[in-house]
Amino acid sequence: METMNKTAPILEAVNLSKKYEDGMLALNNVSFEVKPGEIFSMLGGNGAGKTTTINIFLNLLEPTSGEAKINGIVTHESPLEAKKNVAFLSENVMLYPEFTALQNIDFFVKLGGKLNYTKSDYQKVLKRVGLQTEAHEKKLKGFSKGMRQKCGIAIAILKDAPAILLDEPTSGLDPKAGHEFVKLLADLRDEGKAILMSTHDIFRAKEISDYVGIMNKGSLVMKKSRAELQGENLEQLYVQFMAGYMDTVA
Amino acid sequence: MLKLLIEKELKEIIGSPKFIMMFAISSILILLTFYVGGINYKKNIAQHEAAKLENLRSMEGIKDWRLIEHNIYLPPSILASLVNGISNDIGRNVDMYGRGEIRPHGSVYNENPVYAAFRFLDLTFLFQIVLSLFSILFTYNAVNGEKESGTLRLVFSNSIPRGKYILGKILGSYAALSIPLIIPFLLGCLVLSVLGIQLKGSEWFRLALIINAGILFMGVFITLSVFISSVSRRSANSFLLLLVIWIFVILVIPRAAVLISGRFIDVPPIDELNNKKNAYNRELAETVLNKLKTFKADGNEDLFAQFEKYMEEVNDDKDEKMNSFGSKLDEERKNRQNVQSDLSLTLARISPAAQFSLASSIIAGTSLTLSQEFLSQAKNYQNVFKTFQQEKSGGSSGGGMKMIMVNEGDEPPDIDPTELPEFVYKEANLDSIIVASLGDFGLLIIYTFIFFAGAYMAFRRFDLR
Ligand SMILES: Nc1ncnc2c1ncn2[C@@H]1O[C@H](COP(=O)(O)OP(=O)(O)O)[C@@H](O)[C@H]1O
Ligand SMILES: [Mg+2]
Repeated sequence: METMNKTAPILEAVNLSKKYEDGMLALNNVSFEVKPGEIFSMLGGNGAGKTTTINIFLNLLEPTSGEAKINGIVTHESPLEAKKNVAFLSENVMLYPEFTALQNIDFFVKLGGKLNYTKSDYQKVLKRVGLQTEAHEKKLKGFSKGMRQKCGIAIAILKDAPAILLDEPTSGLDPKAGHEFVKLLADLRDEGKAILMSTHDIFRAKEISDYVGIMNKGSLVMKKSRAELQGENLEQLYVQFMAGYMDTVA
Repeated sequence: MLKLLIEKELKEIIGSPKFIMMFAISSILILLTFYVGGINYKKNIAQHEAAKLENLRSMEGIKDWRLIEHNIYLPPSILASLVNGISNDIGRNVDMYGRGEIRPHGSVYNENPVYAAFRFLDLTFLFQIVLSLFSILFTYNAVNGEKESGTLRLVFSNSIPRGKYILGKILGSYAALSIPLIIPFLLGCLVLSVLGIQLKGSEWFRLALIINAGILFMGVFITLSVFISSVSRRSANSFLLLLVIWIFVILVIPRAAVLISGRFIDVPPIDELNNKKNAYNRELAETVLNKLKTFKADGNEDLFAQFEKYMEEVNDDKDEKMNSFGSKLDEERKNRQNVQSDLSLTLARISPAAQFSLASSIIAGTSLTLSQEFLSQAKNYQNVFKTFQQEKSGGSSGGGMKMIMVNEGDEPPDIDPTELPEFVYKEANLDSIIVASLGDFGLLIIYTFIFFAGAYMAFRRFDLR
């Protein structure tokens, strides 16, 4: 326990707040950290502020106050440095439709700074994420969402960054694909990655997360470790927190 | 990193189905232009040679060079066949006499009005319309399209400076869109040699300059499109906006420039000038009449001689006044005309399309100055011809007259038409062409940089989510 606490967090949100131009307070003083070898899941309904959080980590948005740090680097201060340490997978992976899977992967992996991979490295990883060999040389425009998601995670794996951000990665995947995806995430965690995932899939979150946070209307209303969740009914907790918050508002 | 971004853009454009269409269309049009230009050139050369022969033949059997009036012609040039400029609108034929005003006539469009109705397909027209449209078609959504399709977020989840990304976009598009320009252009040069048309070294060089001007012009539209696509959030909007700009740049500004300068700078019509001259002439005639009335004889001398001398002075005075009045009017009109055309060129140069077409016509030797250049070389030739006539007929016209009278009984020999000094039209040299086109090249480059800077600034503030 002692040694665990001493490892520095890779992902860190410190009193993160975001108010949009229209006055919408999308994030309200959110703090958490994710260490190497941990999966942190943000649970929350639509509009809870999950994507906003991830966008701040990627410097696609600036926080109104507080800061997001990757590997100790404040993202809105040195975004280029910070982003060297993170791989990202969006809810709906969009790649170049006129490029093949391998061409897309080659481009994005090189863009991520990894220049020395060979084609067979790419193919190995594509096999690992479960994209059938026939699809490797096919143009992306015919790909299903699941296939695109597989390309996306392959890119994230190949970037080999210490942190991985995933924005609702399993939404829209069929159960089998979802299961395989979660297994893959567990492997990556075991390789020492710090993983921050937003989701509204309570069961998968409980299955693999080391920490689960519940977000509601921009606030992190609950944070529990795997041990703390042992024996708890997460679904019930989720509904309670949502309702409780609603009650205090009303 | 920049190389990667450029390569990706290049591959993406080249790999898209619309690129194949663009390549096909631009190849067909460019090759057609070279083919039609080449065929026209050959036809013009044949006509030119025939006209020169006919010119010589018409002198056969004539016994005195002073009786010769012949024609000189502006020779065809291959560059003019490819970049028409004003070469089809101006008179290419001058009736040559030893004295008097000369006036070029017989323009291509005059002789064949049907050509005027459709104009020829030339490189300037082609580049202006087609290249600019293609540039827009391929880059109107360069930035906002990637946002719409969702790839922008993934790109910028990496450690990519925004400036590099925009530079990569522009350079990649530049490289990709140059291909369907340069390859058909090179094939077009091949078409010329297949047609048996040989270009001089300097003509090759000028052709290369013309394609360079075309690429620069295309670059203006590429940077403009990337700029607009990073200003507007939706690609549909940027497409519409670019179409409007396109219409202004290609169609409205150059025409408006001519109309506006015509409104602001009055050039008096020739008739008005002649009326003024006539009025002044009448006025002068009246003073002559008055002077006639006030003539007072000095009793001592021959009255008739005195009157003649007096009237000669009066008339000389009148002629001098009339001449200076007339040439002042002519001069004024010419100056105003120059001011007007300078103004319209300056205004037109707001449009990169005008910059490009002016640059390419200057390089091809078919710019507005072609008619003045031809006229002035024809005038120089007139002097040469006049001197030649005088030499051949033994000095002044009066002396010639006497000689004929002395040799009355002999049959004088026919003249030898081949002795006639040849009119050779000298094209401007390469240096002066380059200097003259430098301004327009500069403007094209400046526009490119302005739009690039605009794209860079707009993209710094672009919402990448
Ligand atoms: N650009 C924006 N301007 C104003 N409000 C926004 C903007 N983007 C998101 N929001 C609002 O912020 C809140 C959080 O959004 P988001 O982070 O996308 O939630 P989640 O990803 O959890 O569904 C929502 O209420 C959403 O409407
Ligand atoms: Mg979201």
